[in-house]
Amino acid sequence: MNILNIAMKEMKSSLREPRTFLFMMAFPIVLMLILGTALSNAFSSSTLVGDLKLLYNNQADNKQLIQAWQIFSTEIEQQGIIITPLSSTEANGVEDISNNKYAAYVELSNEGLKYYGSSKRMIESNIIQGMLTAFADRYNLATSTLTVDPSKAEAILGNTDWKDDLIHETSLDPNKTPGSIDYYAIAMTTMIALYASLSGIYLFRGERTRNTAIRLMASPASKGELFTGKVLACTITNLLFVLIVVLFSKFAFKAYWGDHYGMVFLVLASEVILSVSLGLGLSYLFKGETARSIVMIFTQIASFVGGAYSPIQDTESFMGFITNLSPIGWANKALMNIIYADDLIAALPVIGVNLAFATTFLVISNVIMRKREAI
Amino acid sequence: MNVLEIHNLTKKFGDFIAVDNITLNVREGEIFGFLGANGAGKSTTINMICSLLRSTKGEISLLGRTIATNVKFAKMNTGIVPQDISIYENMTAYENVSFFAGLYGLRGTLLKERTEEALEFVGLADKHKSFPKNFSGGMKRRLNIACAIAHRPKLIIMDEPTVGIDPQSRNYILNSVKKLNQMGCTIIYTSHYMEEVEEICTQIAIIDHGKIIAEGTKEQLKAIITDTKDIWIGIKAADTLPIDQLKQIQGVMTVRHEENTIKINSKGEVNNLNLIIQQLIKDDVEIRSVEEQAPNLETVFLTLTGRNLRD
Repeated sequence: MNILNIAMKEMKSSLREPRTFLFMMAFPIVLMLILGTALSNAFSSSTLVGDLKLLYNNQADNKQLIQAWQIFSTEIEQQGIIITPLSSTEANGVEDISNNKYAAYVELSNEGLKYYGSSKRMIESNIIQGMLTAFADRYNLATSTLTVDPSKAEAILGNTDWKDDLIHETSLDPNKTPGSIDYYAIAMTTMIALYASLSGIYLFRGERTRNTAIRLMASPASKGELFTGKVLACTITNLLFVLIVVLFSKFAFKAYWGDHYGMVFLVLASEVILSVSLGLGLSYLFKGETARSIVMIFTQIASFVGGAYSPIQDTESFMGFITNLSPIGWANKALMNIIYADDLIAALPVIGVNLAFATTFLVISNVIMRKREAI
Repeated sequence: MNVLEIHNLTKKFGDFIAVDNITLNVREGEIFGFLGANGAGKSTTINMICSLLRSTKGEISLLGRTIATNVKFAKMNTGIVPQDISIYENMTAYENVSFFAGLYGLRGTLLKERTEEALEFVGLADKHKSFPKNFSGGMKRRLNIACAIAHRPKLIIMDEPTVGIDPQSRNYILNSVKKLNQMGCTIIYTSHYMEEVEEICTQIAIIDHGKIIAEGTKEQLKAIITDTKDIWIGIKAADTLPIDQLKQIQGVMTVRHEENTIKINSKGEVNNLNLIIQQLIKDDVEIRSVEEQAPNLETVFLTLTGRNLRD
């Protein structure tokens, strides 16, 4: 019963601390918003294509080619390609391409098409090139057919349905990739879960500095009850903060958290337990403000290398190796796999490692606490 | 009946002996004054009584049971008012008292009743929903007491409960201590204010360098030093005083300067008042009044320990 009494007091006390609220909730939410907005381009899988401008110079006198070109140019103009004939004043179309005035330049002659694409507008020029290739293939087919069956050749060139076949677009991108807000929702949540270690530091130190430790120790509540009640409350409170951040990101920022909420919760819960235990362990291992300094430095480095501020892409490099040493890094990776690859098994090693470290720190704190005459 | 019995109690921190083989008895219904200068061993003894520290040697019994083997029983029957205010600033007065009382096994209606009773006792019933961060020093001290008495302990240890508060709050607390005593509580009271101890304590022990150097009633302690007298000389504020010269006068044992009074403790049989006054006149000290005081506890303490209680 004392455990519950202690836990309730601890939670009440923590939830009434405005600084804790500000730090554990406002801080990650604001960072999520700022980083998610500022770095949205880095996560975008779509590319904005500019105007598709095609310059052409018709030097052909082949009637069939001219006719076919006219049909083709009318169709692609309707699809948004801006087609401009080379004027007499514009002596050199190739130069216009170099000057980035057009995405592509094509010369029509009786020998065929001569294509010049802009290296500065690669995407636009590739699209136009694709269309022209389709046109050239169709024209070659028609001229070949002409020798066999002229009526069918005309049908090939006059078929206006061909516009649909000019380019067939296929995406190799998987549907589920995180946008910037999605990424930072996860990254900030795992980061703030690690900051729970600060609460761990002050779990018993706070009682000592507040002078309430003497009253607690003079009461019939055992050290075990105090320890369990306080660790339980600290974990629940911090988990609550983390869940509020998750829910806020989901409903306010529309961040994607996948469909496996249970597993996501377990990973986050194990990280909070690890953090609280880490803080508590350090508060017993180091005197004064040393533990706090260690935690601050550790969480900052872990956040940075764990991808809290910017994603770590290259997992094979040294940076990738360092990322794996950060609790934030391994939690982020597991959550990404759970959310975007439906890989629930990815959670198990992370939960296991988190709980193993947590147990170690809890045992260290408990042993030192029991050895001490006070708490 | 003895509520508390201490036999040959010793506490060592490494080579340092904080409490040196002390023996004490506190009888039921006493307000027991426990006096000692800073570092004398007072707090260490109190911490051992409260089971906060383990003794190196010796035994403490509460209500006839050894506390080392009956820790829970001892804790259930003891209430501590620590020297430093030990309350949660972000919990209301009611929540503070209720939380600590809850640790002593009180639940439900009984917990509610005892919490309200304790707050009523210290005059904070109307502030039960207020947070201590908005309290004055005196109110915090009173809440500090309420947290120690809600579970109705047999023995209450008050470690300087009036430090740093206004006279009105001090009087309130002293009256509360007397009331608690009348209600049947045995109290161990430590203070740096000798007048408080003189006013409320029925039995007094003085500890110095970890040893009990005197024990008894106020009268018994004062009787120890009947061969001395106190001379209090009221003076006009002066930049320098001939303290060292006064100490050289025959019979003078101690000289203290407090505000506008020079307090001299001298051997009773030596007639040296004229020499003292002559010295002050010689050093241009303007004398306002001269009183010969009967020995008080402060003098007793000073004579026995050679130190002021506030040192």
